[in-house]
Amino acid sequence: MNELSRAQIRDLMAQVLKNQDKELPADDAAQLREIGFRSLDFSELALRVEDETGEELNFDAPGLRRIATVGDVLDFLVELQQQ
Amino acid sequence: MSDLADTQLVPPSSVVLVSGGSRGLGLAIVTALLDEGVRVAAFARTVTPELEKLAAEHPDRVHVGSVDVTDLRAAQGFVREVEQRLGPIDGIVNNAAIGQDSLHVHTATDDIARIIETNLTAPLQLTRLVVRRMLGKGLRGRIVNITSICAQRGFPGLVAYSATKGGMDAATRSLARELGGRMLVNAVAPGFFASEMSAVLGPTQLDQIVRRTPTGHLTEPVEVVPVVRMLLREHTNINGQVIVVDGAASI
Repeated sequence: MNELSRAQIRDLMAQVLKNQDKELPADDAAQLREIGFRSLDFSELALRVEDETGEELNFDAPGLRRIATVGDVLDFLVELQQQ
Repeated sequence: MSDLADTQLVPPSSVVLVSGGSRGLGLAIVTALLDEGVRVAAFARTVTPELEKLAAEHPDRVHVGSVDVTDLRAAQGFVREVEQRLGPIDGIVNNAAIGQDSLHVHTATDDIARIIETNLTAPLQLTRLVVRRMLGKGLRGRIVNITSICAQRGFPGLVAYSATKGGMDAATRSLARELGGRMLVNAVAPGFFASEMSAVLGPTQLDQIVRRTPTGHLTEPVEVVPVVRMLLREHTNINGQVIVVDGAASI
């Protein structure tokens, strides 16, 4: 399977934010709440990852509730691709 | 042919089939009906020790079985067993359902199909099966569909689930018309329970619902049971209705 690296996902995340005139901080510990990255932005990012890899990523909502930082987003999507 | 209404009253149900009767609301319904002296047939994918215990306590009035509601042949077999052991079924509670907790765009297509099959297709098939037998025997009976506040109000993460519950609410109305007073067909739509299916909403969302609920608490199965019992057992003229039990959270 054509998996995206953590760095590639980070680039896509930066694009999602840039489209909203927001910036992605370099620090993985940055809080999503502070940078204005919302749950539908996460959906958009996941769908962009799907577009790149050609594989659907299906997941339940409870996992999303634990996501609070930029690092959490990247970890979640890296792990999800491996499932 | 005339489709004039039938004016004879529908008697209280005496043999009630409960799908998904092994835990939660289903188990509470089975328990309450037994307390009332009704004969009860309950099935679920897995028969829990709690349901086994009820069956052991009331061997003459309970029939339980491990049946997946989506397995129509197994459901048919179960209905035949029930009729032999307890007598003709004259009440159904369509309670078995599976939950959902995923955004629509991230829900696997197979999961959407499974939710619809379990929560909409299966209860329609089961109802058809039992109503055919009731009509064929000239019996009058009662049908109670357990739906959800999701059928009337929007909640994220519950798109397919809500669609199935809305479908059952709609079917309730049409079936009540179609059965022309020979059967009373109603739905009970609980708000969110603190347990089980409401793992669908996060603690923050549940807190928000509680704050907006005039009665100040989430619905408990024990608060829904009397309504189901009434619809199955009391003489009322309630037919084709969806009764919401949610402490006015949705009002």
